[in-house]
Amino acid sequence: MSTIKTLEDLNKAAKRGLESIIPSKTKIMVGMSTSGLASGAQEVYDALAAEIKKRKLDVVLCKTSAMGMDCIEPLVEVIQPNRPRLAYSRMTAKKVPEVINQVAKGVVDGFKPTYRMDEEDYLCLNEKKPYFKGPLPNDVKDIPTISNVDFYKKQVKIATRNCGMINFESIDEYVAKGGYFSLYKALTQMKPEQIIDEIIASGLRGRGGGGFPAGVKWQTCRRAHGDIKYVLCNGDEGDPGAYMDRSVMEGDPHSIIEGMIIGAFAIGATDGFIYVRNEYPLAVANLQRALDQARAYGFLGNNIFNSGFNFDIKIGKGAGAFVCGESTALMTSLEGKAGEPRAKYIHTVEYGLWNRPSNLNNVETWANVPAIISRGAKWFSSIGCKNNSGTKVFSLVGKVNNIGLVEVPMGIPLKDIIYEIGGGIPGGKKFKAVQTGGPSGGCIPKSLEDISVDFDALWEAGSMMGSGGMIVMDETTCMVDIARYFIDFLEFESCGKCVPCREGVMRMNEILHDICGGKGRPGDIELLESMSKGIVDGALCALGSTAPNPVLSTLKYFRDEYTAHVRDKKCPAGVCKALIRFSVSDEKCTGCGVCLKKCPTECISGEKKKTHVIDQTECIKCGVCKESCKFDAIIVE
Amino acid sequence: MEMVNITINGQKISAPAGITILKAAQQAGIDIPTLCNHPALSPTGACRVCVVEVEGQRTLITACTFPITDGLVIQTESPQVVKARKFILDMLFSERNHFCMYCQMSGDCELQNLGYRYGIDHWVFPTYTKGFPVDATRKYFLMEHNRCVLCGRCERACGTLVANHTLGLRNRGAKSMIHADANLTFGDSSCVSCGTCLQVCPTGALCDKRSAFMGRDEQTQHVKTTCSHCSVGCAMEIVTRGGNVMKILGDWDGAVNGGVLCQHGRFDPLYDERTRITSPLIRQKGKLVPANWDEALQVVAKRLGKADAKSIGVLASSNVTNEALYLLDKLFSKEMKVANVGLLNRAAPRLFEKPQGSLADIEKSDVILVVGADPVKDQPVASFLVKRTVDRGGRLIVVDGEDNGLAPFAYMHLPMADTGKAVEIAGRANNPVILYGTGAPEKTVNALKKLQGKAAFVALEQGTNTRAAVAFGFANGFKPSAVKTLFLLLGEQDGIGVEALEGIGKGAFIVVQASFASPLTEQADVVLPMAIWSERSGSLTNTEGRVQKVSKAVEPEGEAKADWEIISLLAEKMDKKLGASLEELSARATQNIK
Ligand SMILES: Cc1cc2nc3c(=O)[nH]c(=O)nc-3n(C[C@H](O)[C@H](O)[C@H](O)COP(=O)(O)O)c2cc1C
Ligand code: SF4
Ligand code: SF4
Ligand code: SF4
Ligand code: FES
Repeated sequence: MSTIKTLEDLNKAAKRGLESIIPSKTKIMVGMSTSGLASGAQEVYDALAAEIKKRKLDVVLCKTSAMGMDCIEPLVEVIQPNRPRLAYSRMTAKKVPEVINQVAKGVVDGFKPTYRMDEEDYLCLNEKKPYFKGPLPNDVKDIPTISNVDFYKKQVKIATRNCGMINFESIDEYVAKGGYFSLYKALTQMKPEQIIDEIIASGLRGRGGGGFPAGVKWQTCRRAHGDIKYVLCNGDEGDPGAYMDRSVMEGDPHSIIEGMIIGAFAIGATDGFIYVRNEYPLAVANLQRALDQARAYGFLGNNIFNSGFNFDIKIGKGAGAFVCGESTALMTSLEGKAGEPRAKYIHTVEYGLWNRPSNLNNVETWANVPAIISRGAKWFSSIGCKNNSGTKVFSLVGKVNNIGLVEVPMGIPLKDIIYEIGGGIPGGKKFKAVQTGGPSGGCIPKSLEDISVDFDALWEAGSMMGSGGMIVMDETTCMVDIARYFIDFLEFESCGKCVPCREGVMRMNEILHDICGGKGRPGDIELLESMSKGIVDGALCALGSTAPNPVLSTLKYFRDEYTAHVRDKKCPAGVCKALIRFSVSDEKCTGCGVCLKKCPTECISGEKKKTHVIDQTECIKCGVCKESCKFDAIIVE
Repeated sequence: MEMVNITINGQKISAPAGITILKAAQQAGIDIPTLCNHPALSPTGACRVCVVEVEGQRTLITACTFPITDGLVIQTESPQVVKARKFILDMLFSERNHFCMYCQMSGDCELQNLGYRYGIDHWVFPTYTKGFPVDATRKYFLMEHNRCVLCGRCERACGTLVANHTLGLRNRGAKSMIHADANLTFGDSSCVSCGTCLQVCPTGALCDKRSAFMGRDEQTQHVKTTCSHCSVGCAMEIVTRGGNVMKILGDWDGAVNGGVLCQHGRFDPLYDERTRITSPLIRQKGKLVPANWDEALQVVAKRLGKADAKSIGVLASSNVTNEALYLLDKLFSKEMKVANVGLLNRAAPRLFEKPQGSLADIEKSDVILVVGADPVKDQPVASFLVKRTVDRGGRLIVVDGEDNGLAPFAYMHLPMADTGKAVEIAGRANNPVILYGTGAPEKTVNALKKLQGKAAFVALEQGTNTRAAVAFGFANGFKPSAVKTLFLLLGEQDGIGVEALEGIGKGAFIVVQASFASPLTEQADVVLPMAIWSERSGSLTNTEGRVQKVSKAVEPEGEAKADWEIISLLAEKMDKKLGASLEELSARATQNIK
C-alpha cells in the first residue's frame, strides 16, 4: 500500500474497493461479528469454504459484520453479477450445499432467501448503486426487498451505514463507500472553525448518554489552553445487553477513526485514544487492523493529505468495569491507574487525560461525523426531531419478537420500535414496559408507548437515552424484581469511592431483596425514596447519582406493585418466589400426570384423571409444572 | 493573586480565585465538616460529608474539591445540606461496626465528632451483621477494618507523601477493603512502618498499639520538637500525659518533612528498652557506685585540672545538641587547649565552603544523583523525598554498592568507578541534585565538583548533629595512643561498643557522659547521666545546615541532666565561667555553625 495524498489517489482506492464490494464474479458474505459467531457463523463459513473448494467454484468468500437483525443469524449473503443481493438467514452448515447449489445454478429454488436488496446505499456519496441492470429475474420476484422487512422498514442507517455492507478487513471497501472523502474535504477545504460550526449546526448530540452537543464540546476544547490536546473515543460500553458500539467497532472501524481525525483537526488535537474493554477482543482486533491500514495510507501520521496536520490514534484497553465508561474514570484508567471517577468541577475539555484538554465522544458520535461532513449539517438536521437531529442506534432485546440492533430516526414513537421493528411481544403476551438507558435508566410503561424516542422526552419520563439499551418487558415481568436486578448490577459496579453510592445502593438492594423475599416492612417504600434522594444529591459521579433511577421510575409508574409486595405480600406478576404459590385448578386439571413426572422435588401427587395436588411444603416454586401443563391448569398466585 | 468575591451563609468573603470552597470558608472562620479531606493530602471528594449548596448548581457540591469563582453563593448548613450529611453519616455508621465504647479513638474520632454534630442517635440500618478482620501483624500499629470508613487518606498518605505505595483499595463497591500490596498481611507487606497512615486516619481503624486507650487527646500535652534520630531533622510533636510520652506525631508544619516521619522517629524511641543511668557513678574499689553530681563533677574536674592537655582526648557522639558541642569545644579545645578531639561517626566529604543546595531541591529536580549514601537506611525521610520525585517522573541514578536501598527505584545503578557517566547525565538535566555521603571516595568527589553551579548539592550526613560537630572541629583524626584521660560524650548513641576505646592505654581515666548503661559505661571511671531526646531543650543542626529547636517534653529520668548542662556544670567546677542561659548558648552556638 502506498500513501494517499491526493484526491486522485483516493479515487483509485475507491475504485479498488468497489471492485471488491461488487465483484464481477459471485461473492458470498458471512456475517462474522460477535453476534454471528455466537450463533455459529464460523461453522457456516468453514462449510462454505469447503463446499466451494470441493466444487471448484470461482467464488469470493468473505466476512462482513452484522446488519442488525441478530435473531436471524447466521446470515449468508450472495451477490452475483446482474442479480439482486440475497440474504439467507438462520444458516447452518447443513444448509450450505443447498445454497451453493443455487449459487452454482444462478437461480433460487428450494431454500429461500429471507430478503433481497436491489440497490445499495452509498450514504456518504449521496447515491444508490443498483446490483443489477434491466428487469428483476423471475426467480427472486416473490422474495421481499429489505425495505419490506418489518425490522428494517422504519430504520435509517447513518452510524451503522456500512455495518454488514462491507468487509471490515478492507479499507478500500470503506473508501469505496465514500470513506475518507470527508476527511479529505475537511483537511483540504475547510477551516477547523468551519468544521466545528458545521457540527454545531447539525445538532449532533453525544450518543454516549448525556446528549451534550458535540460541536459545543469540540469548541470548548479547541479554545482550551495547551499545546497538547487529546481526542478520545469511549468504546467502553458497560451496559449489560448493549452492543451498539461493539457492532460499529467490529463492523465499521474506519468510520470511527475518520470521525476522530476530523475531530482532532477541528479541535487541534495531537493524539487520540480509543478506549475499549478487553472483553471485546474482536473489536480490538478490527480497530487495530483499521488503525494500521489508516496509518499505511497516511490518514494517520504526519502531514495527512499534505495539509500539514499530524495526528495518530492508539487503543487503550480497559478491564471491563462499568464505571470506566464514565469520562473521568475512563481517563484515569487510560493513565494506567485504577478507574475511579474524580470530582469533575474542572472540566475534562480543559483538564482531562494527563491534565491536558481532552475531548471525549462516544463511538456512535464519532461514526456520525464523516456523514455530517460529506452530506452537510442541513441534511443531518433534517432527520430526527426538534433538538434531536439524526438517528440513534438501539439494541432491542427482551420480550420482543425481533431482537437486534436498530438505527432509527430520533423522535420515532416508542410503539413503532416495539410493535413494528420489534414485531411485537412473543406468545401473545401483553406489553408492559420498556427499560431504556442502561442499568441506571428507567422504565417507561405501556401507557406512554406513544412517547417520542429522543433525549429530552425520555428524560422527562424519568428514564434516559443512555447509550441505547432497550429492554422490552411483558406482563410476566415483575417491576420490583426488575428494579432489584438493576440495583444488583449497580451495587456490583459501584467503584466504592464515595459513600452514598457504595453504601446507599447496597442498602437499597438489601431492602429490595427483602421486599421481593416477602420481608418487606411498612415504610420501606418511603425509605427507598428518601435514600434515593440522598444518593442522587450526594454521589460523586453519574453512576451513583443515577443509580436510584430504576427504583424511582418503577415507583413512579408501578407503585401498586411495590405496595402489593410490601403490604399484601403478593407478587402480581408471579415472579418473586417467596410471594407466590403454585396450585392446581380443579376445573382445568385433566389428571394427565405430566406435571407429576416433571416436578423435580416430586411434590405433586394425584391419581390418573383426577385433579392433582401440590405439596406446598416441598414446592420450590421452580415453575416447571406450569410450563409443562398443556391445559393451563397450574395457578400462580 | 486574583481575588474573587463570594458569599457563604450570607457572609461576603473575598478570597483568592481557584482555592476550594473549603479553604475559603476556613479562611473566613466558617467550619465546613470534612472526613476524607486532609490538609496534607490532595482532595478526592470521596466521603461527600463536606457537601454544600451552591446557587446555580444542579446537585450538591463538595466544598473540598470545588474551586471558587467570582459571585458564588454558598450555603453550608441549609436543610438540604444537613439532610444529605445525615444520610451519609447514617450510611457510614452502619457500614461497619462502630461501637465507640470499645474504640480507642472514642473522643478523638472525626466520624464520632460528626455523629455528635449532626445528632446521629440511632442506626437506620441493621449493623453488626458482618464482621471485618483485624490485622495486628505489624509491630507498632494495627488495622481494625471494622472502624474503617474507606476515606482513602491512608492510601493517599502512603502513596503521595511516603511514595511507598503499600496501601490500596481492594474490590469494588461495598466490598472495598484497604489492603497492603497484593493483599498481604501488613506485617509481610512492603510497609516501612513510618506511621504516616496511622497519623492521618480519622477513625479508630489504624490503631497505635502503644498509646491505645491511654487517654483522649484533650488530656494530653503536645510539645513541638525536632527528631534527633538522624540528620534530616524532621519536625515532630511529642504527646505526653502525666509526664509520660504517649506517642510521637509528625508536625505538618515541619519545614523539612512536612509532617512525615519514619519508623526511627515515630516508634523506635518509645520502644527503647535499654537501661537508663539515673545518677552519677564513680568507680570505687573497682566498682561503679552512685554518687551525687557535686562529687562526680569534682572528681572529673580534678583529674582534668591536673592533666597535661596533650594527654587529654575528647570523643563526641553526633547525637547531642548544638549547645553541648559548643560548650565541649569551648571548654576543651579553646580553654584547655586540647587538640585531640574526635567524632564517633564519619562525616561526609566537604565539597564546598558554602551550602550549595537543600533537601527541598530534591523535589524540584529532574535528575537525582545519589552517591555513596543510602538514605533508605540512614536518612529515611530523605529517601521518601527521592521516591516522591521518582513518582513524578524524576530520574534517579544511584552510584553505590549493590545493596543500596534506593537501587530498586533507580533508573540507573552504577558502580563508583562510573561516576563520570552519572555526572555526564546529570550535566544534561535541567535541575539536577546530588546527594552524597560518606561512601563517596575522593576521586568521585572531585568528579562531582564539575557540576558546581549547575546542580544542587546536599550532603547526607550520618549520625544526627554531624554537621554541627564538624563545624566545631570534631571530625579531625582522633589519636587514641596518647590519651591518658578521655572525655567520652556518648549521649544516647546506640550501636557503639568498646571498640571506640581501641588503642587507649590500659590505665587511662575515662569519663563517660551517657544516657544508657552499656559496655562503654562499664569501662568508665566516672559516668555522668544524661537526659534523652524528650527530656532536654536546645537545638540541632540538620544535614543542610538548618538549625532547629528541640524542646523538653518530660522531666529527665532520675538525676539525668541535659547534655549541655552537664558540660556547663563541669566548666563551672573547673572555674571556667562558660555558663549562660540556654538562649545565649544557643545564639552563640548557632553563630559558630553558620
Ligand atoms: C457510569 C457511567 C458509565 C458510562 N458508560 C459509558 C459508555 O459505556 N460509553 C459511552 O460512550 N459513554 C458512557 N458514559 C458517558 C460518558 O461519561 C461520556 O459522557 C460520554 O462518553 C461522552 O461522549 P458523548 O458526548 O459522545 O456521548 C457513561 C457515564 C457514566 C456515568
Ligand atoms: S457514585 Fe459510585 S461509582 Fe461514582 S464515585 Fe461514587 S462510588 Fe464510585
Ligand atoms: S472509629 Fe470512631 S465512630 Fe467508629 S467506633 Fe471508633 S470512635 Fe466510634
Ligand atoms: S484505614 Fe483509616 S485512613 Fe485508611 S481508609 Fe480506613 S478510615 Fe480512612
Ligand atoms: S471531605 Fe470533601 S468529600 Fe470528603
